[in-house]
Amino acid sequence: MRVTVRLVFLGKFGEMAPMAEIALPDGVRTLNDLKAWVARQEPQLGAAMEATRTRLIVNQCVAHDLSQPVADGDEIAFLPPMSGG
Amino acid sequence: MQVRVIADAFDPQAEIAAFAAGRDDAGAMVSFVGICRAKSGDVAVDELRIDHYPGFSEKEIARLAEESARRFDCPDLLVVHRVGVIRPGEAIVLVAALSIHRANAFKAVETLMDTLKTDAPLWKKESGPQGARWIEPRADDHARRAKVEEGLR
Repeated sequence: MRVTVRLVFLGKFGEMAPMAEIALPDGVRTLNDLKAWVARQEPQLGAAMEATRTRLIVNQCVAHDLSQPVADGDEIAFLPPMSGG
Repeated sequence: MQVRVIADAFDPQAEIAAFAAGRDDAGAMVSFVGICRAKSGDVAVDELRIDHYPGFSEKEIARLAEESARRFDCPDLLVVHRVGVIRPGEAIVLVAALSIHRANAFKAVETLMDTLKTDAPLWKKESGPQGARWIEPRADDHARRAKVEEGLR
C-alpha cells in the first residue's frame, strides 16, 4: 500500500527544505528512519538538525519516541529551537 | 483564559482595558508588553519576522498559560502574541494576569514569559542592513526557564 505523509519545516528549517507531500520511501518505517531520510535528501537541513535540538511533531502532538511508526496521512513537522516572547 | 496568535498590530492598552473590565473578583492585574527593538545589541533591526505552526502554536501557548494560571491561582490570564512581520516599536507580546493579591499576578506573568521564551512554538528572525539572523534562546533564557522547573519540583 502506498503511504503518503506531509512534511512541514518550521523556522530556519523552512528555508532549507520546502513543505512537501511525499510517498513514504522504501525502508522508511519510523520517525527515526524518516528523519535520516530527510537529512540525506537535504544535507544542509541534515547538518542543521544534527547541530541543534530538533523536535518532531506528529499530527500536532509532540513525538517523544522517534521509534514510533509513520502512518498514512500523518503530518510530520520538524521544529528547530523555539524563540517566543 | 484568552490566547490569541495574530498577524496584525494590536493596541496593548486597549487589550488590557478590555481584559480587566468589570473584574471585581480580582484585586490585582499585572501586565507585560514585549516590544520590538530598533537595535539588537549593536545591530540595527528593520524588522522582526515570527514564524508559527498554525494550530500547534496556539495549542502549546494555551497549555503554558493554563499551567501558569493554575500554579498561581489566577482566575484569568490573557496572552496576545504577534506573528508575521513586526516593525520596531510595535508590541510583540502581551501577557496579563488577574489574581486576588498582587504577588501571584506578578509571578504568573514572569513565569509565563520565561516559559514562552523557550517553549512557545514560534521562531524569530531579525533583519536589518547587516543581514538577517534566526534568534534562539540565550543562556540567560534557559537559566530562567530552569528556575521555573525548579519551582515546580
